[in-house]
Amino acid sequence: MSRRLLIVEDDPETRAFIVKGFSEAGFAVETAENGRDGLYLMTDGGFDAVILDRMLPGLDGLKLVRSIRAAGLSTPVLMLTAMSAVDERVKGLRAGADDYLVKPFSFQELQARIEALLRRPQDGTEETSTLTCRDLEMDLLRRRVTRAGREITLTPREFQILEFFLRRKNRVISRTMLLEGVWDYHFDPNTNIVDVHISKLRRAIDDGGADPLIETVRGAGYMMSDD
Amino acid sequence: MTRARAPLRNARTRLVLASVVLSTVMTALVLAVVYVTANRTIASETRSVVTAELAGLADEYERLGTLGLMRAIERRSQDAAERDALYLLTDPAGRVLAGNLLRWPPDIEPGSGWVRLELMRAGGDTAVPISAASIRLRGGERLLVGRDASARQQFDRALLQSAGLALLATLALSLLTGWLLTRLVFSRLSEIARTAGDIVSGDLSRRIPLRGTGDELDRMAETLNEMLERIEELVGNLRMTTNSLAHDLRSPLSRLRQRVEALTATDRPESERAAEAARAQAEIDHLLRVFSRLTEISRAEAGLGRDLFEPVELEPLARDVLEFYEPVAQEQGVALTLSGEDARLPGNKALLAQALSNLLENALRYAPDGSTIRVTLGRAGDRVALTVSDSGPGVPEEALPRLSRPFVTLDDSRTEQNSGLGLALVAAIARMHGGSFTARNLDPGFEAQMTLGR
Repeated sequence: MSRRLLIVEDDPETRAFIVKGFSEAGFAVETAENGRDGLYLMTDGGFDAVILDRMLPGLDGLKLVRSIRAAGLSTPVLMLTAMSAVDERVKGLRAGADDYLVKPFSFQELQARIEALLRRPQDGTEETSTLTCRDLEMDLLRRRVTRAGREITLTPREFQILEFFLRRKNRVISRTMLLEGVWDYHFDPNTNIVDVHISKLRRAIDDGGADPLIETVRGAGYMMSDD
Repeated sequence: MTRARAPLRNARTRLVLASVVLSTVMTALVLAVVYVTANRTIASETRSVVTAELAGLADEYERLGTLGLMRAIERRSQDAAERDALYLLTDPAGRVLAGNLLRWPPDIEPGSGWVRLELMRAGGDTAVPISAASIRLRGGERLLVGRDASARQQFDRALLQSAGLALLATLALSLLTGWLLTRLVFSRLSEIARTAGDIVSGDLSRRIPLRGTGDELDRMAETLNEMLERIEELVGNLRMTTNSLAHDLRSPLSRLRQRVEALTATDRPESERAAEAARAQAEIDHLLRVFSRLTEISRAEAGLGRDLFEPVELEPLARDVLEFYEPVAQEQGVALTLSGEDARLPGNKALLAQALSNLLENALRYAPDGSTIRVTLGRAGDRVALTVSDSGPGVPEEALPRLSRPFVTLDDSRTEQNSGLGLALVAAIARMHGGSFTARNLDPGFEAQMTLGR
């Protein structure tokens, strides 16, 4: 069964852009042009995730997400906004949104984030103590990483980045997602600093010419996949 | 200006008038109370003395008879010390037996209580005001004891007169003090109004003159001057930002236009067009970054996000940012060090991290191979100081004050990485946290410092 997505966005061009992308990616997409219709559709239920514009005619995004949370609806909500400021982001998350993306964005970034939201509940339920990818194993209790049985020494930060990848296996992870998820930074560094961190991690885990585990996805970010 | 002055003058007149009316009414009230109380006290005193004397004389009559009473009255009437004391004894028919009054008042029945009347004194030629009481004795004789009230009336008049004078003096004095006091305040207010008027008509550099007295008005003027300083600076920045923005966006936009033109040209090979498209996208991303930086700066300048302030431990925050940049520094062969004491302050964690990251990126851009970038936490007066120093080439001395203005870069080449907004954002974040940004040259090197309020 295909996954159902609701898009609440008043700007027709942005709406068409998102709809096209997700339809091609195999989602069943429904749309609403204003807050009231969005609320109406949402309370009908059945959506796996909602993409919600922050500024909407009728009922704005913040109020909308607040009211559905008050009504006990836990559908993951990603909020889109033209306001990049950190405090705006915090306000969105406090109102009950699960993620926040600033316009303009690349479609890959949006898709990566939606995929992350859709998988989210499983993260909490599987309480495993080891994470694996191919021949790499991470022991979360003893904080040990081995590759093909050989132990790898990592800095605490490298360990954290690797864990972030292992928990989101087979999904694209953008640089912004890494910045937010690993460092909790919500600004855009001018340098290619995230890439430098990743190449350091790569050197550590692919040491000795092993298969590269982390691949670069052009224009989108990185991915760690099982095959 | 004329419009601004008229209401001031009215306000002053009203204030003086109010003070005069208030103090005059108060003085009049006090005087009235004194007057009434004094009158009452004197009257009741007289009454009790007269009543006692009347009872004493009646006693004398009982003991010594009419003759003895007559003698007692004669004795008392002659007493020089009691000039105001008045006595009259008549037989039942009203004929005078003794006393210093000429005759019994016709309309007074003995025993009718306290009366006021006018009577001729014995040997006098005019009637005098008298307060008196009388009784009829057992043998039918009439006895009247009283006091000459003319002295009292004189005292009364004197009292009223001096009260009037006091009232006049109060009026004059309050008029004078009111006028002086308001002149003190209102001359300063007019100065402020004049300065404000000049500023309205376009001269932003005007300031309110200080008296140097250090009083409340001086301090207010000082605060207003600080405000004007800040406004002038902000307006200046705004002007410059607008100019630079117009200038700065022209070149990337025109490059973008060329790229789009190249894209629409059908005779170009596909590979070339793809490369053009990628470059166009990079150009757009740069423009978007400039815009979001500008938004961040203006939001920080406006103090938005202050409601999200929380206690921040500066040392762990700095350590995280340093660790974040460590790999880049390593690649460049530059060492990063952190020293100093930890400080706790109310702040916005995300913005403080961003500010430090901007300072580090700036230092990394100029730090030579093999050198060290030092991050120090310390104090600057009652503020926390966060200092980043490198041993790079520094900046020309005359460029130092301009560094934190938007769109200021040292080499005129603004690149994707160096939009000239980084330090402007640092300065805005410092100000938002009640501090400031300063930069100076070291020998050799460069030091940027942001202070933060605790």
